[in-house]
Amino acid sequence: MRKRLGGSIAALALLALLGFAIFAYGREPATATAFALPAVPFVEAPPTDTDGSKAAGDGEPFVLSNSNGVSRWATVAEPVQVRAEPDAEAQVVARLKTVTPEGTTNAVLALQRVSRGGKLWVQVRLPILPNNTLGWVPRSSLGGYNVVTTHLVIDTKRLSATLYRRGRAVFRSPVGIGQRRWPTPTGRFYIRNKLTKYKNAFYGPLAFGTSARTAVLTDWPAGGFIGIHGTNAPNLIPGRVSHGCVRLRNPDILRLATLMSVGTPITIR
Amino acid sequence: MTEFTLEELDQDGAIQEAMDGVGGDSRAGFLKKTAVVGGGLVGGGALLGLLAEPAMAATKRDVAIANFALTLEYLEAEFYTEAVRMGALSGKTLNFARVVGAHERAHVAALRKMLGRAAVAKPRFNFRGTTEDEAAFQRTAITLEDTGVAAYKGQAPRIDTIAVLNAAIAIHTVEARHASWIRHIAGVSPAPAAFDQPKSMSQILAAVQGTRFLAAAPRVTTRKAPAFAG
Amino acid sequence: MSDHLTVDVVDTDVAFREALDESSQETRAGFLQKALVAGGVIAAGGVVLGGLPKLVTAAPSPSQDIQILNFALLLEYLEAEFYAEALRNGALSGETRSFAQVTGAHEQAHVAFLRKALGSRARSKPTFDFKDTTRDQAKFQATAVLLEDTGVAAYNGQAQNLTKKTLAAAATIVSVEGRHAAWIRDIIAQNPAPNAFDPLKTRAQIEAAVGQTGFIKAS
Repeated sequence: MRKRLGGSIAALALLALLGFAIFAYGREPATATAFALPAVPFVEAPPTDTDGSKAAGDGEPFVLSNSNGVSRWATVAEPVQVRAEPDAEAQVVARLKTVTPEGTTNAVLALQRVSRGGKLWVQVRLPILPNNTLGWVPRSSLGGYNVVTTHLVIDTKRLSATLYRRGRAVFRSPVGIGQRRWPTPTGRFYIRNKLTKYKNAFYGPLAFGTSARTAVLTDWPAGGFIGIHGTNAPNLIPGRVSHGCVRLRNPDILRLATLMSVGTPITIR
Repeated sequence: MTEFTLEELDQDGAIQEAMDGVGGDSRAGFLKKTAVVGGGLVGGGALLGLLAEPAMAATKRDVAIANFALTLEYLEAEFYTEAVRMGALSGKTLNFARVVGAHERAHVAALRKMLGRAAVAKPRFNFRGTTEDEAAFQRTAITLEDTGVAAYKGQAPRIDTIAVLNAAIAIHTVEARHASWIRHIAGVSPAPAAFDQPKSMSQILAAVQGTRFLAAAPRVTTRKAPAFAG
Repeated sequence: MSDHLTVDVVDTDVAFREALDESSQETRAGFLQKALVAGGVIAAGGVVLGGLPKLVTAAPSPSQDIQILNFALLLEYLEAEFYAEALRNGALSGETRSFAQVTGAHEQAHVAFLRKALGSRARSKPTFDFKDTTRDQAKFQATAVLLEDTGVAAYNGQAQNLTKKTLAAAATIVSVEGRHAAWIRDIIAQNPAPNAFDPLKTRAQIEAAVGQTGFIKAS
């Protein structure tokens, strides 16, 4: 029985005071002089290709996401004005809320970090129009970093989706994309949330919300976000069939969901 | 025998609080039971992760204490692991974070293994930039290590199971080495007092809460129907 | 003692001390050697085997606390005198001297605390011969590392033998020894924390380690 603490100190304190009936612990062979806890190898931190070996000085940006190996996303912890530069006086590019239209915690892809005048700023990928807009927010406006090692690539010419993990392809499937008059936007985006257990066969068994938006259907309700979802018309896939969303056949989207987490960067080309 | 007066050490009542509810030396009685059963264990194979007979099981309180320790170790391990990757550390501070991070990860692994299915899950953290600035990192590491020392010290007298006690004892002094080391790097006194003070579980939890590092798990999934462009 | 275990119990710590009183010609190390060869040591001080229940010589008790604290007092006497002598000899400079001043003051505080707690049961201070380890800075540094690491292992090894109240008090000391150890290690560019888990050593192992230094001339 595992309990998720969910960040609540009350839960933590309660947990500390509650007991569990029985626990088991390993019994290991003796060592000569040292108390032998269960033998644990030297646990090296899993390598990432954003490991720094020198300190980033004031002003020098440090890369947090590079799409090929490691990306980082963070929640929007408080409503914040996004600026064109890492400067509190710079032009406001967007305003981020803490919640998405679907009611999930708002999240942004964190691209790089810089220190200016002793304050940390993070460049983020924004879920706004025009697509592919970036901006800077104070580090203090974001939650903790979450690391993902996956990268989804949608090829609008081959009509395919490929998921890479640390640069290796681990999933491929055909896709349906937007009709030519309602094209699926190209560029770089990220998975913002996951929708499940709704009852709407048009979208299949589950859907992913992305940061991408249709540039042509500007009066679509709820912002016209591009989703990646299943379908009740699998025979249309592959094809140019939608209002901009990326459609997968239902078995494919279910499989993709076991491999791809929220925060995964997306490249649509 | 001249009984100890702990009052001179027990400056804020932490030792007394740690002793509360400890009626005599329950470890003695527990030892007796385990020794009788333990005779059959000598020469036997390792009993990994199996539910033991009740006589060999840890007390409920020991499980809670081990999970309390595990939570602190999760916090430290994540802090150091992230700090190494954030590119803001160099030289001695970076080396410290690498070595100490490996220790904390080992502590997490050992406590999880001891607890088996009773282990609490890893919480989510937001280190709020303290892993991304060397000076902030040093200050935070000093606080975390000093706090860890005080936490293990406060719990040790409350532990009844020998294996849990020895694990806590073996970790306690390593945290003290960590504290001394980073203090030395940061240019502050490695050993500020002749006696280190314990802190109670509630005091430690309050200190952890004060860091604001524990974060709520983000809600990124919903059952709401899509309203996408389609 | 009420909580005897079913294994054959020999209070080896008391036996050791009584025997030593009788055989003052022998060094502690020599006596220990014989005892081990003869197989007469039954889990002396409790060799802690991972996961196996400790084969204790006796359950924690106030009288055993006294023995253990006197064992600790011996080590604290040794450390305190070591630092004091090195400082008196003017052998140290720079940060090593600051280290000796701060740490020596701590060890003296530990001695005072243990003497007060033990009252009339406190053991007497031995006579020491530190040879040139208090005259040469490099040897001093290496010895300080050894003594502090040994102190940590000694206290940690006895933790399970102490009554809880005494353990609480001992715990306030042992972490400071850990700080000392890390500090002097860092001064000489050794890894301040060489292990993820500090080793617990039995009393016999500590006695052997201390005996090997030859620092204790007379008890």
